[in-house]
Amino acid sequence: MALTTAQASFVAVPTPMIEVEQLVKTFGKGDDAVKAVTGIDFSVPEGEIFGLLGANGAGKSTVVLMLATLLEPTSGNARVAGHDVVADPTRARLSFGAALQETGLDPLQKGGELLNLHARLYGYDKAGAERRTNELLDVVGLQDARERRIGSYSGGMRRRLDLAAALIHHPKILFLDEPTTGLDPASRRAIWDEVSSLRKEGVTVLLTTQYLEEADQLADHVAIMADGTIAASGTPDDLKAGMGADVVEVELADEETAARAAAAVGPEANVVGHEIRVNATDGPAVLAEVVGTLKTAGIEPQGVTLSQPTLDDVFLNLTDSRENAK
Amino acid sequence: MSATDGTRPPLRPASTGTQIRLLTVRLISKVLREPAVTIPNLAISVFFLFTYNGAFGDSGVTNFPGVGGNYLNFILPVTVLFSSISGGAAGLTLVQDLETGYFRRQLSMPLARSAIVLAAILLGAIQVLVQATLIMSLGLLLGADPAAGFGGILALLFFALLWGMGFAGYSVATGLKTGNAQAAQAATFIFFPLMFLAPVFLPMDQLAGWIQAIAKVNPTTYMLEAMRSVMIEGWVASSLLKGLAAGGIFALITLTLAVRVARSKTARA
Repeated sequence: MALTTAQASFVAVPTPMIEVEQLVKTFGKGDDAVKAVTGIDFSVPEGEIFGLLGANGAGKSTVVLMLATLLEPTSGNARVAGHDVVADPTRARLSFGAALQETGLDPLQKGGELLNLHARLYGYDKAGAERRTNELLDVVGLQDARERRIGSYSGGMRRRLDLAAALIHHPKILFLDEPTTGLDPASRRAIWDEVSSLRKEGVTVLLTTQYLEEADQLADHVAIMADGTIAASGTPDDLKAGMGADVVEVELADEETAARAAAAVGPEANVVGHEIRVNATDGPAVLAEVVGTLKTAGIEPQGVTLSQPTLDDVFLNLTDSRENAK
Repeated sequence: MSATDGTRPPLRPASTGTQIRLLTVRLISKVLREPAVTIPNLAISVFFLFTYNGAFGDSGVTNFPGVGGNYLNFILPVTVLFSSISGGAAGLTLVQDLETGYFRRQLSMPLARSAIVLAAILLGAIQVLVQATLIMSLGLLLGADPAAGFGGILALLFFALLWGMGFAGYSVATGLKTGNAQAAQAATFIFFPLMFLAPVFLPMDQLAGWIQAIAKVNPTTYMLEAMRSVMIEGWVASSLLKGLAAGGIFALITLTLAVRVARSKTARA
C-alpha cells in the first residue's frame, strides 16, 4: 500500500509510536496490594515489531491493557501515537487496534457482520465499510465463513477474525496479546505471516508472547518481563550475543538424570526436559569441562553438542531456570 | 476516491447518534437469534390473559364495582404490565457482552461510553413496545374495548414503556454490577411480590386487609389503576397522574442507579 501524504509526513517525525515511562500498576490496596507492573520504560519507533516476552503473570497483559486504555495506570505515563492514554483516550483509541488475549467476540454474530459493524462504528460509510470488510476477510482467509455465526468458528478462525477486527480502521499501532497461544502450528503460521506483512505496511506492533520462537521470528526488539519489570531488552541477536557465543547441550537419559547433571555442573546449567544447556564464550573448552564433571559424578551423557544460543537460553538465564524447566 | 472508501483510514469515528443506532441494530438481531430468551416472558403474558379471563371472565367478579362488566378490560392492563418486564433485556444483553468479552472490546474502541449503554436501554424499550403491542392486540381481538378509545391504547403502551424503563434501568444496574447473567435474572424475582401484592385479579376493596395495606404503598397498584381507568372509565386525570408519578419515580430511581453503575463499569479499573 502506498503511503498517503499524511502518513508520509508522519514518517519524517521521529517520535516513537509507543512510549512508556515509569509505568506502574498496583492491584488492591494496603497489605493486599499486588504490584503487577513495577515502573517500566520502553519505546517503540514507527514500523517496528516489539516483543514483550515473559511467563504467565510476568505483567505483559497488564501493560497491554494499560496501553489499550482499558486499565488505569497507578502511576507513570504511556503515549500511543503521541496521545496520552489517560488524558486523551479517544485519540489513542483511534490510533490503535487491539487483539487481546481473550478474543472479545459475540458468538451469535456473523463474522462478516462484525467487521462491517465495526467499520461503520469507526466512521466508514456503507460502501466503504463493505469494501473494507471484504478486504479484511480476504486478508485473514475468512471469506467463506463470513455468513457463519462466530460461535461455530474454530479457535484459529476466531483469532484471525479478532485480528481483522483490530485492523479495521488501518491503525498505526497494533496490540497483540498472546495472539497464538493455544493455536495449532498452521494457524500460528497464518498469524505470523499476517504480522510480518503488516510490518511491510509500516504498522507498529506490540506483541506479547510466551513463545521465544515467536519473538525471535517476528520481533525487531524484545523486552523480557519477569515479576513486573523488564529484566532484559534489545534485539533478539543482542540478547543472544550477551549469552556468549556457544551453548553446550548435553542430552541425558531422563529428566531426573538431567537434574542431577545440572546440580553437578553448577548454576550456569539450565535444565530443559532431559537436556542440560550451558552457555559459554569458549564452547569447546566448556564442553570438555562439562563432560569431565559428569564423568566424575558418574553420569553418562546420551549425546553432547555445541550450538548457538536461542532466546530460550536468554529467557532461562533470566528467570528461575529450574522452575521453568519442569 | 472518497475518504472512507475502505482503502484508507476514516478520520473520525461515527457520530454518537450513529453509534447508538448501529449498536441497537446489532442487539436487535442478537435478540432475534436467541428467541428462547424472549419468548417465555411473552408466553407468560399471553397465558395470564387467557387463564384469568377464562377463570373470571364469566364469573360474578365481572360485576364487582371497579371491574366494569368486562373482565378483559380489567385484566388486560395486568398482562400488558407484565410484558414490560421484558425491558430487562437491556441488562441481559450487557451481561452477555461482559461474559463474552465483547463489552471490553467495545471499550477499547473510540466509542461514546453512553452509546454502549443507551443502545442496550433502547433495546429494552423496543422489546417492551413490541411485546406490549402484541398483548394489547390480542386483548382487543378477544373483546377488550378501552373506554378511552384509541388514545387509551396508546396510553397503555406508554405506561408499559415507562414501567419497562424501570426494569431496564434495574437490569442494567444489577447486570453490570454482578457481571453474571444468572444473578441479574434472579434479581428480577424481587419484583414478583411487587407484582402480585397489588389489586391484580380483583379490585382493591376485594383484597384481604393485609394485602390492601401493602398494595397501598406498592407502585404497581397505581400503574394498574391508571391503566385500568383508561380501559374502564375513560380519561381520569387523578388516576393517570398517580400512575405517571409511580412509574416515573421507579424509572428515575433505577435509571439513575444504572447510569452510576455504568459510569464506574465503563471507566478504567
